[in-house]
Amino acid sequence: MIIIGEKINGAIPKTAEAILNKDEGYIRELALKQAEFGANYIDVCAGTDPSIEVETLKWLIDIVQDSVETPICIDSSDVDIILELLPYVKKPGMINSVSEEYGKCDRLMPKAADTPWKIIALTCDNNGISLDSQVKVKIGEVIMEKAKKYGIDEDRIYIDPLVTTLSTTENAIASFVETMAGIREKYPRVHFTSGLSNISFGMPFRSAVNRSFLTLAMNAGMDSAIMDPLSPDMRATLYATEALLGQDRHCRRFLNAFRKGVIGPKK
Amino acid sequence: MADVLAIKQAVGDLDEGSVTEKLNAFIASGPGEDEVQAVVAACQQGMEIVGEKFGEGEYFVGDLIFAGELLTDCIDMLKPLLGGEVGGSRGTIVLGTVEGDIHDIGKNIFRSMSEAAGFHVVDLGIDQPPSAFVAAVEEHKPQIVGMSGVLTLSIDSMKRTVEALQEKGLRGGVKVAIGGNAVSQESCQYIGADAWSKNAAESVKTCGGWV
Repeated sequence: MIIIGEKINGAIPKTAEAILNKDEGYIRELALKQAEFGANYIDVCAGTDPSIEVETLKWLIDIVQDSVETPICIDSSDVDIILELLPYVKKPGMINSVSEEYGKCDRLMPKAADTPWKIIALTCDNNGISLDSQVKVKIGEVIMEKAKKYGIDEDRIYIDPLVTTLSTTENAIASFVETMAGIREKYPRVHFTSGLSNISFGMPFRSAVNRSFLTLAMNAGMDSAIMDPLSPDMRATLYATEALLGQDRHCRRFLNAFRKGVIGPKK
Repeated sequence: MADVLAIKQAVGDLDEGSVTEKLNAFIASGPGEDEVQAVVAACQQGMEIVGEKFGEGEYFVGDLIFAGELLTDCIDMLKPLLGGEVGGSRGTIVLGTVEGDIHDIGKNIFRSMSEAAGFHVVDLGIDQPPSAFVAAVEEHKPQIVGMSGVLTLSIDSMKRTVEALQEKGLRGGVKVAIGGNAVSQESCQYIGADAWSKNAAESVKTCGGWV
């Protein structure tokens, strides 16, 4: 599993407060902790007014780069801002995200093609987010064909099938699974990721829903997640599921994580 | 000269990357045969650390299985330097899960560890009656008989097996080690075995002391 740590995001109230107060220590701690607890990438999202988004992202990137070796996942809905910041980041990471909205793929992909950056692509277009998995599969195919056209290897694309909220759509996971299967059929090496906490929006005891979703989605082939690596329950579910799926020889990663206190009761 | 203590510790820590790195550096230094034997012994001694950590609850079954593989890999890396032979065989062990019991995880861990430690192991498999142990001892003339069992009833099977060896006059020629969740100091005496352990790595160490 490729874990993208979601904590440094201005949409989270505490992080927004730290950004507002220029609380470098708080951001640094988030970077260090997420790296320590297994994040493969650290998402950085300003969540501020567009007029100060670039400077805010630069400030966040500076802190993360100074704290950890873990590569950054640049998170902005504005592909121009992402492109402007690519050269600013020392170690190529992930772009979050493109979609079929507003020609984002055609604007970003040609410029990112010759870099090692990986790209998260959402299965939505100018009509928004469809509830129909067939529509999502078609959008996924359009994105993958564009990647191919611009010379971006399948393996560099992380499709986010945009899971809908369970409280409003009871077949949310069925649709998520169908979308992955439909796209993977044609593009076997593409990756799938998800900002998975969307699934539990509007429900109580969200962590239970998130954990079960993680297990079911991994079983259906999701091999990445944008999640909170600081949640002990999520980590435990992640390691246990990897072991159960036969992705962890002799359960060694599970055992090592247990010994280090990454999962299990506090020592 | 290789840092044998560091190699032993790295094996004990199951730090595969560090073990491989250290052994590669050692091999590249063009060591003499005595040095290679010392490093083989260090790797085997690393299993003692593994056994201790398992006993303390720090390691689990998956770690033991991995430890056996790691040790086998180490020996495979070092073998070519010794013309393919690691100090010859340290002896033969006839091994099996006793009659009425079909558990084999512990037995298999013991087998891979004792093989990596230089023993020749004749593994009879699971649910083996006393007659099968007797026949194998007559055929293979081992120094050691290893019996494994998890179920309580396996204690009586082990006792019958030792009695069968005695009747054939074979008991005096072998050491008997028992292992598995069913065994204890009391059952060891009741059975008439020489050593017992719930810990495969510890049993391998005991066997090493016998030959």
